[in-house]
Amino acid sequence: MSVAINDDLWSAIGDPTRRRMLDLLLTDGGGTATSLSEQLPVTRQAVAKHLGVLDRVGLVHVTPSGREMRYRVDDAQLARAVAQLSAVGATWDARLRRIATIAEAIQRSKSRDAAQQEEQ
Amino acid sequence: MEYGTIEREFHVDAAPEIVFDVISSPEHIRQWWDAETDIEPVSGATGELVWSDENTGRAHVSPITVVDAQPPRLFSFRWVYPDDAAARSDNSLLVTFQLSPSERGTVVRMTEAGFREKGWEVAVLEEQYNEHVVGWDLFLPRMAKYLTELVSAP
Repeated sequence: MSVAINDDLWSAIGDPTRRRMLDLLLTDGGGTATSLSEQLPVTRQAVAKHLGVLDRVGLVHVTPSGREMRYRVDDAQLARAVAQLSAVGATWDARLRRIATIAEAIQRSKSRDAAQQEEQ
Repeated sequence: MEYGTIEREFHVDAAPEIVFDVISSPEHIRQWWDAETDIEPVSGATGELVWSDENTGRAHVSPITVVDAQPPRLFSFRWVYPDDAAARSDNSLLVTFQLSPSERGTVVRMTEAGFREKGWEVAVLEEQYNEHVVGWDLFLPRMAKYLTELVSAP
């Protein structure tokens, strides 16, 4: 998978309305532009446009259902997007643990020095 | 779930002055970030973070700009932006450390924001240059947790 595709994936998921739509699709097990627009403060046309963005990056699958199109979340593609950010979060966790360890070592050594001076 | 920001809060058994120094001074950045840097912990200062790979002999460089430095309460900077541009809100990641004194030390709040614009780029950078810092043993359980929450979210 190329970087360009992932960049699109990230901007698709970066929009708050589209994230809310993904949440609703996950909760309801799927939906249509009409069913989504009933639960969101945006028009059916705007929802359809957002669904087009999600479809282009593979975050949703579309199947015809009566007169409308029915959308479902692609779990593998969503997992890929989430995994990218959790990797970034995990590296920060490691750095923050190091910051705490270093600072606490300095504090202990300072406190020891202060105690020794008091004894003298 | 918010994909745009990383947020962490933790306690350190050390005074805010010490924690601020560890977070912001080149001497300590070398230890906790594996990066050589010439940055000064002063608002508006610019510099570079340099990660060298001993195996390949290559180095990776990211510019860094200190946004706000108020010892010992606040340190924020922008990084991961193009070499030939100034750091802006739409082309970089903003990292903010807020320190507040507590009974036994310091409470640290850290956020990293800007993923909506820069998410993939930083994910690649982290993967390529910091993979050795965090093993899969840490990454995999976290990913599993994220996915479980994702699937079971109401």
